[in-house]
Amino acid sequence: MRPLWWTQILAVIRLEMKKTFFARRGLWIYLLALAPVALFLAHSLVEIHLRGVRHEMATQSRPITEQDLAAIHEGMTREEVIARLGDPPASRITMRRMPTGPHGFELIPGEVLRYSDGSTELTVVLEKGAVVGTGTTSGSSLGQDTHIFAGVFQFFFIRLAIFFGCLGIFMNLFRGEMLDKSLHFYLLTPVRREILLAGKYLAGLLAATVIFTVSTALQLTAMLLQFDTATISHYLYQEHGISQIVAYLGVTVLACIGYGSIFLAAGLLFRNPIFPAVLVLIWEAANPLLPSLLKKFSVIYYLKSLCPVEIPVDPGMPPLLALLVSNAEPVSAYIAVFGLIALSVAVLAASMTRVRQLEINYTAD
Amino acid sequence: MAVYKRTYRGYSGAITPSWSRFLVLFRFSRETLFRSKVQTAFFVLCFFFPLLCLLGIYANAHLSVFSFLGRRSEPLLNINGQFFFTYLTVQSTLSFILAAFIGPGLVSPDLANGALTLYLCRPLSRTEYVLGKMSVLVIVLSWITWVPGLLLFAVQASLSGWQWLADNLWIATGIVWGSFIWILILSLLSLALSAWVKWRIAAGGLLLATFWVGAGFAQAINAVLRTKQGYLLDVGNLVAAIWHGLFRDGVNMGFSVTEAWIALLAFCGFCLLLLMRKVKANEVIR
Amino acid sequence: MSNTIVFDNVSKFYGDVLGVNRVNLSIPPGITSLVGPNGSGKTTLMNLMTGLIRPSRGQIRILDMTPDQPEQLFRTVGYCSQFDSFPKGLTGYQFIYSYLLLFGYDPPLANELAWQAIDRVGLREAAHRKCGSYSKGMRQRIRLAQSLAHNPRVLILDEPLNGLDPLVRAETIALFRSFAKQGCHVLLSSHVLHEVDIISDQVILLSGGYVVAEGNIQGVRSEIEDHPMQILIRCDRPSVLASRLFGEDNVVEVRIHDDRRGLLVKTSNPNRFYLLMNRIALDGISIESVAPIDDDVNSVYGYLIGTEEAVR
Repeated sequence: MRPLWWTQILAVIRLEMKKTFFARRGLWIYLLALAPVALFLAHSLVEIHLRGVRHEMATQSRPITEQDLAAIHEGMTREEVIARLGDPPASRITMRRMPTGPHGFELIPGEVLRYSDGSTELTVVLEKGAVVGTGTTSGSSLGQDTHIFAGVFQFFFIRLAIFFGCLGIFMNLFRGEMLDKSLHFYLLTPVRREILLAGKYLAGLLAATVIFTVSTALQLTAMLLQFDTATISHYLYQEHGISQIVAYLGVTVLACIGYGSIFLAAGLLFRNPIFPAVLVLIWEAANPLLPSLLKKFSVIYYLKSLCPVEIPVDPGMPPLLALLVSNAEPVSAYIAVFGLIALSVAVLAASMTRVRQLEINYTAD
Repeated sequence: MAVYKRTYRGYSGAITPSWSRFLVLFRFSRETLFRSKVQTAFFVLCFFFPLLCLLGIYANAHLSVFSFLGRRSEPLLNINGQFFFTYLTVQSTLSFILAAFIGPGLVSPDLANGALTLYLCRPLSRTEYVLGKMSVLVIVLSWITWVPGLLLFAVQASLSGWQWLADNLWIATGIVWGSFIWILILSLLSLALSAWVKWRIAAGGLLLATFWVGAGFAQAINAVLRTKQGYLLDVGNLVAAIWHGLFRDGVNMGFSVTEAWIALLAFCGFCLLLLMRKVKANEVIR
Repeated sequence: MSNTIVFDNVSKFYGDVLGVNRVNLSIPPGITSLVGPNGSGKTTLMNLMTGLIRPSRGQIRILDMTPDQPEQLFRTVGYCSQFDSFPKGLTGYQFIYSYLLLFGYDPPLANELAWQAIDRVGLREAAHRKCGSYSKGMRQRIRLAQSLAHNPRVLILDEPLNGLDPLVRAETIALFRSFAKQGCHVLLSSHVLHEVDIISDQVILLSGGYVVAEGNIQGVRSEIEDHPMQILIRCDRPSVLASRLFGEDNVVEVRIHDDRRGLLVKTSNPNRFYLLMNRIALDGISIESVAPIDDDVNSVYGYLIGTEEAVR
């Protein structure tokens, strides 16, 4: 037989499910979670299309290699280029505005001749009938895309999408019910308030975890969609792809656990959560600047250490962004998981003391 | 004759002229604006940086005072377009947070409590209602953006002389226009969110999310799609691009000022459309 | 185990605003009505009893339980508050059933109790409609059903008759009576004084956060000394009787009734007056009935609270 507290927690989760998953006011959270999926999907579809175009160009004329392109130099005429490389399978007419003075400009006609070797696009840029430059454009590689995924995951998905998503879900649990004037129904049942808080937290966590882990999985799927089976197999089995995917999903769950506990507490402590939301966002963003001890009171500190792919610091990167990217004091995975869970438990314990004192005063809201 | 006809006397006193009637809404709202202690404290805090700038300008013009410290009379600060650009950046960030506090409470309570219909069955049109509500934000945000900005400019002009004023009048234009664009965007977005989101708190959260998530998503678009056009979704960046133009510092944001103007106009139009649609539903047909 | 609800010197302040002050009450089983003008502290008392708010001072015990023990208290107490709101998206049945699961009942038992409660308030047909689509009266009834679904021994009802049509009102009053008959506490607040008069075994009159009077309404009336009691005497010769009464020192005022078949008498000492009436009846004036006409809640409310309101 199930203990009473567990039956009550399940009953709370059952009541909250509808509100957390299917409420109209929660639609924006789905948008937030699905936006990066749409982005990676769009990228993959564009890449698949461009790959098709390059392949078609290679079949329409003689495949041109980079060595062939190296023979083209500035000043050559269109005819000379075509004599060397053959008729381009595709070309584009251009018109460039060149300033001639403070108010005037000259229109310079040009043309881009497009060739392909099947996987790389090779272009010859002509202006006024003469070559001004050449270039190559390859499709994105899995290596590049995994780095970009890591950046988007850390800077957009965790710090903004999950952050604001959890803000919406977990603030709604108590503060939302106070605004709807329906919290008293819970408080008039024989449920200890600590159990009510635990039930509501688990309900919020379930919703946040499902929405955002599904989003992470879909983002990864969308990112890999453009690559062939062999590349994907190699990534999954030879380049620790599976462990990276598991790590991303785990980080997503932990982010929901951490931010969920913070926003549940904020919903209990503050009448207007904008103020704590701004403070937490600034605190999380300022994490790299904080002293070592204070860093540990931040969710992002632990999540950064758990992210499987480090974001390379580009020399051209602004110093502030480089500071955000760098992880000067990484901690081991065990410590990061334990630290984040300990932080969440501490915040929840503080919420429990607050919920015991909670009074219903809807008019004040 | 019904009793009321014998006792009822219509109001025959002076009435507010129609051109300034929208300001009645500002007077109503002003009373509730600073009821929150946190909000009032934050508003006061918003004057800290202008005060600091004022001290900086004053100190810069009286360098001889520091001679006892052995300082040479090199200027401490360069009071130029970049100085006022920095001033506007700081004040606009503060005004953004203040708008997140004030803005969401302007229309949503009227909708939730059915007061919008009461407003609109008075001789007050939809446009006047929107103008009235906007005036609250415009006036309050002006106090912390262009008003102290122009004061700083005036102080600097009085300390540096007419020539400086004549040479740098474009900075004053930049302060006013830059602030005006920012205030307009904040006001329209706040009111649109306030009209569509019943919860004042949620509307405030969405205002923050629109800017911060918008900026983050713009970065994500740029990274994933290898483009610079993602920035067109970042309202803060669009405004910054226009400010760079106004303060003539030659910074290139990766897209042209014209593109920024077009994107901002589209954004404002969308906010206005959202706002008017919601207000129209409550309009009394006369 | 005590069978009373006890307020021991309870005060509640909302910052500088007084909710209730120094309330001492001992409420026995039966129907008890809280009566008082808006803002007098009726809802505050109810919220204090159910732990929705905490007293600034004093203690409350409900059948020997404190409001700090929800896990025990709410198996015994049901509270129908005045908040006309519902959890989003639930039907009437789901609303009652879902909250019954929080009591730890098995789903079949919760289902049975939910339908019993729905039947008690006559909402079976509308049970599968969303609460948001209910009329005001239906919303009131479904909230009432939710508060009594677990068969509580103490039923606390804040303005429970609001929005109900006359027929449902009568049925609801009958329901309260049946609860009281079973030895339960029914504590309700109302503004409809004549209904309070009909329903209540006892009343608690509140004004400005203070308990002005409590107990059986006739008992309360008899203790109001600064307002002479009004008595209607039905008799065959009202003018003769009037002349007899003018000489009595406890008679303050005598008026012949509009229908000229009786007298309206105001007396400062009802007990002495009743003894006098016995003597008069023996003197040959035919008296049909003697009945006090201002010992109802309405009059008591007027004397105790109306004057206070007027002074304010």
